[in-house]
Amino acid sequence: MSDRAIQDTLIRALADAPFRSTPAWRDQGLADPVRVERFARFLARHFYYERLVHFFKYSRALSRITGRTPEAVLTDPGFDSLFGVLVLGSRASAVSVARLSVDHVRGGTRAPIPYLDELTTYEEAMMVVESGARVWSDGDDTQAIQHQWSVPIRAEGTMLLDFTYDLPSVLPLLLKPWTEVPQPPREPTRLLIARSPHGRVSVARTSTAVATLLELADGRKSLDDLAREAGLRPAELQATVEGLVDIGAVRFAHGS
Amino acid sequence: MAQLMVGAFYNPHLGPQLAVASGIDHLAMADPPRGDDPWWPRIRERYTLLLHDYLGQLSEPLDERSIARARSLAELYRTPWVAEHFQCLHTEDGTYSLNYVFPPLYTEEFLARFIANANALQARLDQPLVMENIPGFFDVKASRIPEAVWLRRFFDRTNAGFLLDLPHIWLEAHYHGVDPQTFLADFPLDRVVELHVAGVEPDRDLEGPWIAPNEPSAAMLDFLGYAVSRCPGAKAVTFDAFSPTLTVDVLVRSVERIRAAL
Repeated sequence: MSDRAIQDTLIRALADAPFRSTPAWRDQGLADPVRVERFARFLARHFYYERLVHFFKYSRALSRITGRTPEAVLTDPGFDSLFGVLVLGSRASAVSVARLSVDHVRGGTRAPIPYLDELTTYEEAMMVVESGARVWSDGDDTQAIQHQWSVPIRAEGTMLLDFTYDLPSVLPLLLKPWTEVPQPPREPTRLLIARSPHGRVSVARTSTAVATLLELADGRKSLDDLAREAGLRPAELQATVEGLVDIGAVRFAHGS
Repeated sequence: MAQLMVGAFYNPHLGPQLAVASGIDHLAMADPPRGDDPWWPRIRERYTLLLHDYLGQLSEPLDERSIARARSLAELYRTPWVAEHFQCLHTEDGTYSLNYVFPPLYTEEFLARFIANANALQARLDQPLVMENIPGFFDVKASRIPEAVWLRRFFDRTNAGFLLDLPHIWLEAHYHGVDPQTFLADFPLDRVVELHVAGVEPDRDLEGPWIAPNEPSAAMLDFLGYAVSRCPGAKAVTFDAFSPTLTVDVLVRSVERIRAAL
């Protein structure tokens, strides 16, 4: 085994709690298991602190009203109870930790924030979409070439969310100084949240045609099929698909 | 020794205060400025800025995208040097990442990797590269070369400078039950360009001290004075705290106390 492979095993052990209890890790005896466990828990708390502070920053800005800071859950027994199953960066762990924060924030004072449920749903979705393995380094960029011979597929984790409030209009206001809680207009809003292979999370307002296209992009339908079923002209479809590929909502699979 | 710059990290939530603060010579940049940061133009105009972002782990070669990003940030900041870390924190396939600095195994294989990739990165930068030491909380059996020896061999075969993180040294010494000054003595202090100093506090998970966004203790500042006297090429000392919980009082007072300790 190369030293690089040993390092990977070490990184996995620190990131993946279930792996730490397997013979595959324990039998290697690479390091003091007590110290490894302590450091793994330290890393887990740090990992999710950074994410909660970042993705729940709007709830954090509202904490003087709600009385609840989203990251406070990291020192609660509920978070400690996850230690045995956490895999840093995994979708399942992001779901579990984000849900702790959502429940915590929603349990606070809500009266002047009628959109609090939708806001926390949005923040939770951002954190969950960001999770998952990522590309840290570009290899040869073959995807652009493959576009011509492959079929689009909705990327795993891409989310479409429907809200009754126009949340994007209030988000920047929440991060500025305010005395009265900023209020968004009550207006149906559909948002697309996606992540690029490099981990960049994007949010976009989306139309019915784009939503239809995403629902149809199952990796079996050709671009012509999609254009016909989504009611888009070929040029319009191409621009839309390229935009979706760019933000990571759609990737290309090899067609038959 | 030339006059040392004394500075801190740019914490965007402290932008209003940092835009008018005095007594701070430089700011290290851990993240690119947000597009909606109203204080950024004044910060850029006012301070010497040090590029201290995550550029990539040098256990692997940096790809063109990462190099272009590093060059672009270096130009934006007009940084006198570019910093990276002796770290290997994500698996080669990208499946697992610790999202926190973590040292590589100190072995011949990793030494060769870091030398090759640091030299390749340096060749693409217009500024000198400096590399920061990273602490280990536990020993790994597969790590066969003492850290200080590994670092010296790295610096002997690259033109990189040394960013000496003193709390990292202090923590390693603490967890090995060694006196920090004794532990420091083996490191290549003649290559030091910049030093980091920070506060530490007890951590519940580690059941011992770790870095925290607090003022450095008197003992840490004494350690700084001792270390700086042995780093003839040092140009800057940076208060290493980057956190949304950091207050401007702690930042300004820490910089003042660091300056007084030199």
